[in-house]
Amino acid sequence: MTESAFSMSKTQRYIYKTQRVCPPEIHFQANDAILESVRFVGGGCPGNAQLVARLLQRMPIAEVLPILNGIECSKGTSCPDQLAEAILAMQSGKLQPVSSFRVEDDPTPRKIVGLIGELSGDRRVLRQLTESMATRGVEAVFCAGNLTGTEKAGPKLIKEIGKSALRAVTGDRDWAYAYEMETKKLPFIDRKTRDFLARLPQVISFQMEDRKGVLFFGDYLQTMPGYSDFEPYALEINMVCGLTDFMRDETVFPALEAMAPQFRADIIIFSQTGKWGHWHLAGKDFISLGPAVDRDGISWASLEIDSGGLKYSKIVTSNAIGV
Amino acid sequence: MAESVKVLPEDIKAIIDVYEWDMRTREGVQRFRELKAKSLPSVALDGELVWQSIIPMQEEIIAKIQDLYRQKNQGV
Repeated sequence: MTESAFSMSKTQRYIYKTQRVCPPEIHFQANDAILESVRFVGGGCPGNAQLVARLLQRMPIAEVLPILNGIECSKGTSCPDQLAEAILAMQSGKLQPVSSFRVEDDPTPRKIVGLIGELSGDRRVLRQLTESMATRGVEAVFCAGNLTGTEKAGPKLIKEIGKSALRAVTGDRDWAYAYEMETKKLPFIDRKTRDFLARLPQVISFQMEDRKGVLFFGDYLQTMPGYSDFEPYALEINMVCGLTDFMRDETVFPALEAMAPQFRADIIIFSQTGKWGHWHLAGKDFISLGPAVDRDGISWASLEIDSGGLKYSKIVTSNAIGV
Repeated sequence: MAESVKVLPEDIKAIIDVYEWDMRTREGVQRFRELKAKSLPSVALDGELVWQSIIPMQEEIIAKIQDLYRQKNQGV
């Protein structure tokens, strides 16, 4: 008998957009035979949803489907029924696995955007930054994480972000919170906030006139299950995180210059190091976002494009948090 | 760079093993950093960087390989 006769397809991650039920998404991991895990994200009855998730964990799909199918809650369907739909879509190939990280695209060409680094759960800081950005005609605001802090988990901040137009990616701590992998030292966070974090992308792509920008937190993306060196923006991530150590190793800049023409993006933004910086190399702009609050005060970065090219400015709004 | 190695004479290819790393990958980046390379293309022989930023002439590659081969096999 050949080895392949025993082999099982690789477990992959899926995100299913539901219809007519409370949670807008179902996140699950499965292979051809086994439903490894499932999570109803973004709404619904959290207790029941967790129970269903626990009961179904690592169950054979052949046994799962008859249990789920045809249950009605409202509008002719239910969370279990939607999960059955999701599994059937996976089996038929209509639902494709997600790559390790989720990319959200902002297709609108922008002239001026605001960039925020680590907010660390502080709602007052966000308000102050928002006021400052409003006076400068910022068209879109992107935050590179972490939203959550080590002192304050920041559920109020995250709720406020949910109501705002700000677009954020998860930082390493946000990601750990989203999937209940945070260290025990970190403050408690409720399920609703975790769900919000689980629905955030890990990468945002955006457009500054004809230049493509990409924003991410840092190297935790490279450790995500299923990370591929060849998925969109993985090259930028590998070069920034691995090759240049977040642009701190200038000795390898000649190699970076050699690789840069293969980039999809022209503007590469990250925030892991907690330092502010801007480098222009091989026609690309590399921007490191420091924390929103540091010894300089409360800061954000403006990125503006005009006929003269791309202009980066760090803007310090004040040296103290207004209460 | 690998092309210049592929066209080496058979007697030279018989005494070497060739590895190529893809700089787009994490593995390639890791090897690049282990070798303390700075630019591309980079060529190492026996784990030591020999050429950077240039594609050496075939004669130069052959001479260097033969030199290293002789050094390693002295007294054998």
